Formats: sequence, structure tokens, C-alpha cells
Amino acid sequence: MMAGTEEIYWGVDCGSSEIKVVALDRDGTVLLKRKQKTLFPLQDHVYHALSGDDGDLSPFTAAGGTDIKAGHKIVATGYGRKYISFAHDALTEIKAHFLGVEHQLDLTEAYSIIDIGGQDSKIIAVDHSKVDQFIINRKCAAGTGAYIEELGHRLEVPLGDMTALAGDNDKKLSLNSFCTVFSGQEVIKTLMNGERIENIIYALYSSVVKRVMEMTAITTDTVVFSGGVLRYHPKLMAMFTETLTEANPRMKTMLAPNAQYSGAIGAAFFGQNT
Amino acid sequence: MTNVMKDYFLDLDAAAKDPARKVAWCTSVGPAEILRAMGFEVFFPENHGAMLGATRVCMDTIPVANANGYSPEICSYLTSDVGAYMKGITPLTKAFGIEEIPRPDVLVYNTNQCKDVMHWFEYYAEEFDCPIFGIHPPTNLPGIKQEYIDDVARQFEELITFLEPIMGTPMDPEKLKQCVALSREATNLWSEVLDMARLKPSPLTFFDGTIYMGPIVVLRGTQIAVDYYRDLLAELKDKPAAVENERKRIYWDGMPVWGRLRNLSNIFSENNACVVASTYCNSWVFPDFDPEDPLASMAKAYIKIFINRNDHFKEDYIEKMVEDFNIDGVVFMAARTCPNNSNAYYNLPRKLKNKGIPTIIIDGDLCDLRCYSDEQSTTLIEAFLETI
Repeated sequence: MMAGTEEIYWGVDCGSSEIKVVALDRDGTVLLKRKQKTLFPLQDHVYHALSGDDGDLSPFTAAGGTDIKAGHKIVATGYGRKYISFAHDALTEIKAHFLGVEHQLDLTEAYSIIDIGGQDSKIIAVDHSKVDQFIINRKCAAGTGAYIEELGHRLEVPLGDMTALAGDNDKKLSLNSFCTVFSGQEVIKTLMNGERIENIIYALYSSVVKRVMEMTAITTDTVVFSGGVLRYHPKLMAMFTETLTEANPRMKTMLAPNAQYSGAIGAAFFGQNT
Repeated sequence: MTNVMKDYFLDLDAAAKDPARKVAWCTSVGPAEILRAMGFEVFFPENHGAMLGATRVCMDTIPVANANGYSPEICSYLTSDVGAYMKGITPLTKAFGIEEIPRPDVLVYNTNQCKDVMHWFEYYAEEFDCPIFGIHPPTNLPGIKQEYIDDVARQFEELITFLEPIMGTPMDPEKLKQCVALSREATNLWSEVLDMARLKPSPLTFFDGTIYMGPIVVLRGTQIAVDYYRDLLAELKDKPAAVENERKRIYWDGMPVWGRLRNLSNIFSENNACVVASTYCNSWVFPDFDPEDPLASMAKAYIKIFINRNDHFKEDYIEKMVEDFNIDGVVFMAARTCPNNSNAYYNLPRKLKNKGIPTIIIDGDLCDLRCYSDEQSTTLIEAFLETI
């Protein structure tokens, strides 16, 4: 970079549900976080998320234009990463989430990241600051945000109310099915049998935990939770911790700082270092 | 290549229309040499399945088979092909102007790859009221015992006895020797073609290989296959790098995703990675063919194939390929409708990873694109290439 030019590194995470944007300064400090619903045409909405409203910090030289200010760099990640023509670079969400967590948490031990996103769940094992292995859920919605959203919709329970309801369960009910549609049928049958909604939401969370835990055996003693779903469903996160600790009493769990923005922060951090 | 395959299909079409000529259908790793030596023209339904997959016509034909009693969970070569027959279509029409697949005079299968081929050929036996013969070798073998070879060689003898009245002439042992000799020569050349990928950078990719392999599947036992691979080998010796900036070398295990060859090839090349070797293309390398002992050597060659071996053999095989081809990572394609040819299901990727070989599993299928996600596969492959 030229001396005297401000250096701003932008990370854009184009997820299936939301576009998340962050800006880092040269020291890696998070200057801003913005998010908005993922709508189409994607690039127009990413442009809006990056430029903000009048007077906000923006990477663009002029409103409506796509010329980028000197010293600003944009890196995209997420499913829409290849559709952003003005991004300087792109990387997968696996690497972005890893970098986002690695950049924000000074962990020296081997750890695993559990990230639950809108349409996929990921487990990333990190050792010596390198991705050792990773896995994404198979082509099925169970265990993802879409699964919670779909069943919440069928139960007419706002997503924000789920954590409190699941916490008021009086039995540990479970759903057997892998499939969102079959789970929906199971939920309806359970409701017809007069089951309390609190127990059903608990069962739904429990099913997400089971579905994610069967993706791969977690062999580290530390797990970092990342992504918007866990950030906004603390009871689900607590249930993950309970299951992980039952299997490994030495288990230490934590929520990544700026959990919903881990991918975007990782992308910005990548831009700063390449 | 187009001409070799075009001539092959046009001749098959002519044979099917000529009452003086006989057509046999055979599985892709079946005893084609016996059929050719007896004078049959040979059609391979699996090759037709791959064409249905590559042209994506299968997405219109699989549902037809599903709706008529063939589950979406079984071999999608079978459902693609049977569905196409039920619907009365074939990709041969668009490619070569051939109206329909060549009607069989006899059906011969070998369960050395899977049992789905038996169900598949039995459907046609009933449909065409056609004689059918199955070779049932021992399966999932740790090693090759003489008794296995004797068993299969005996079944080949029975097959010859079964075929003679259909063809109306006895087997000429000299012709059988010639066919096995030609198969041996073609397979040696095919092996040399695949070995060209040991070069860094490689002049060919696995995706090229899936196209180049046509003649070794459908023209074994003929001079045409020998000539084709001799020419191809010469051509490859002058060919530049298949991936311009080859930085990573990948091994592919499992079937190709036929309807996504170009797309997958692009993902690797855009990321400076070359898929240099595969289990699949190497499955048509048969070093055991011996014209001096045709039936026993064919028996040995056809039971020794990778897919017919146990897990230890498969693990050792892939490990050796990784070493021989300087591989940086292994992609396992887990085909939803082909568990027999999907080695990701019984912990092999993790075993290799524990030996220091990076692995990734992508979910997909040979034909049925309903079981495949472009987005997820792209992310998995790119993330894998980022991390190795």
C-alpha cells in the first residue's frame, strides 16, 4: 500500500439467508459490521451492504459506481462468492470461518469449529493453526438453519422465541427422522397426541445436535461455535455443550466473538494477508 | 475418437438389422473376448448408461424407470437405460442418427462388479424373450486363489457351450487366442496412456481419461482398440500440460459424475489442480490376459479387478497409486446409487488420512443429478484444494 493511504479490508460473506459485511483496519480491528437479507440480484444487495447508507464508510469511490477506493480491498466468501464481480478475491467458507476464528481467538491448542449456517453445517478441525480436516453436511436440510426455520414455521413459533420455549421443556423428547418433511410429519403427529410445544422445540434442537454430531467424531478438547444459528439459539448451543461434555469431560466450549460474522471477518483477514 | 465410436455404433446398428449377424449384450467387465471370438457384435449397456449420463438425457429417463418399479436407490445406469428403453429413446439417435439400441440375440453378464447388472439384464431377457447367461465369480476377494480362477474358467467353458447353438458355429480356439492377444495389447497401451499422467505436469486428466476409455470398454479384442491407443499414446507424447499451471495432483476414486464432467474438470483446473489418476480408468487395465491360456487368464483378469477386492487390497492399491503418481490428495466420489463402486462408505478415507494422505468425500452419483449438488461439491473441492 502507498504511504498515507487508508487501508481497509472488507469481507463479504454471501450466505443463503443473509449477506454479512465487515471492514477491518490495518491492525485487524473490526471497524463495522453490517448484514442484510440475501436477496437477488445478489450483486446489487452485496453492493448495498458494502456501501451502507449515505455518509457511511464505503469501499466505493462514488455512490452507484463500482470503482474501489485506493487502499480498500474486498474479499468474498459464502455460496455467492463467485458472483461478486467487484471483489478482488474469493475463498471458501471453510477457510473463511477458520481464519475468522483464528484471527479473533488466540487459541494455541487444537480445536474444532462447529458452524451452523442457513443451508449447511460444518465441522472444521484445526491443528497447529491449520485446517486438519473439515466436513459439510450431506445434501439434506436436517441439522441446518433451514431445518429449524421450516419446523418453526410449521409450528408458528417465531425463531426468537425458540430458545426460551426449549428451556421450559419437562421431558427429553426426540425426533427420529433425518428428513425435514418426515420430521414435520412426526412433529404434527406428536402435537396431535397432545405434546407440549416446549418439548417439541427441545426435540427439534436435540435432533440438530444429533445430526451434526454424527457428521464426524470430534477429537479435540476445545470447540468453538460459529455462525448465526448458534448465536441466536443459545439453548441449542448449551445442548451442544452438554453433549460434547458428556462425551469428553475435558471439553471446553466457547462462542466465537462476532459469531455470525466469522466468515466475513476471515475473508477480510485473508485480504489483509494476501 | 468420435470416428472410432461412431463406426462401432453404426456397425452394431447394421449388425442388428442383418439377420445373418448376431448381437450380444455384455457387461463392461464381462467376457467380451469370448463373444467376439465367436463372431458376435458386442453392445455394452453400461456404456449406454454413461452416454445417457453424459448427455443428461438420463434426467428424463430415470424417473420413467422409477415410476415403473425400479427404485431411485438402485444403479442409475440401470434406471437410466431401462427408462430410456421404456420411453423409446437413445442418445445414439442424436449422436449418430441411430434410431434404436441394437436388439440382442443373447445377453451375457458378469457379477464381478455388482449384482445390479443381473437384474438389469434379466429385465431385457424377459422383454426380448432372449437367452441369458450369467457369470457368477467369487467376490470381495483378499487374494486370488487358483480355485477361484478354475471356477470362473469353468463358467466360461459353460458359456461357450451355451453360445455355440445360438451362433450356430463352434468356438474356434485360434480366434479366441487372437482376441485375447488383441485385448492384451490394447490394455497394455491403455495402461501406458494412463501412465503418461505420471509426468509433471501431466498431459491428461482423469476427465480426459473418461472419454479416452471408450474403446477399451467397448472394443476389447479388436485391432481397432489397439490402433486407437497406439495413436493416442503418440499424440500424448507431444501434448502440453493438461492443466496449465499444475500445482496440485489429485487422485479420483469412484465413478465419474457423467453429467458434470466439464464442470468438475473446470473446478480443478481453475484452482491449478490436475486430477491425474483414478481407480475408475485403471479398472480396464488387465495385465493378466495371456493368449496361450485364454480362459484361465481371462478368469484371473476379470476376478482380480479393484471393485471385486476386499478393503485391505483397496487401501493398499490407492496408497500405491498416491505414491506412484505423486498425489497430493484423494477425492472420493460417493455415488448414491452405486455403493459397490463407492469406497467412502467403509472408512477408507479416514484410514488413508491417518497415513498422512489428505482425503475429501463428495456426495454425488454417476448419472442421477438429483443426488448431486453443484454448489456443495464446488465448495468442498475448493476448500480441499485450499487446505492441502
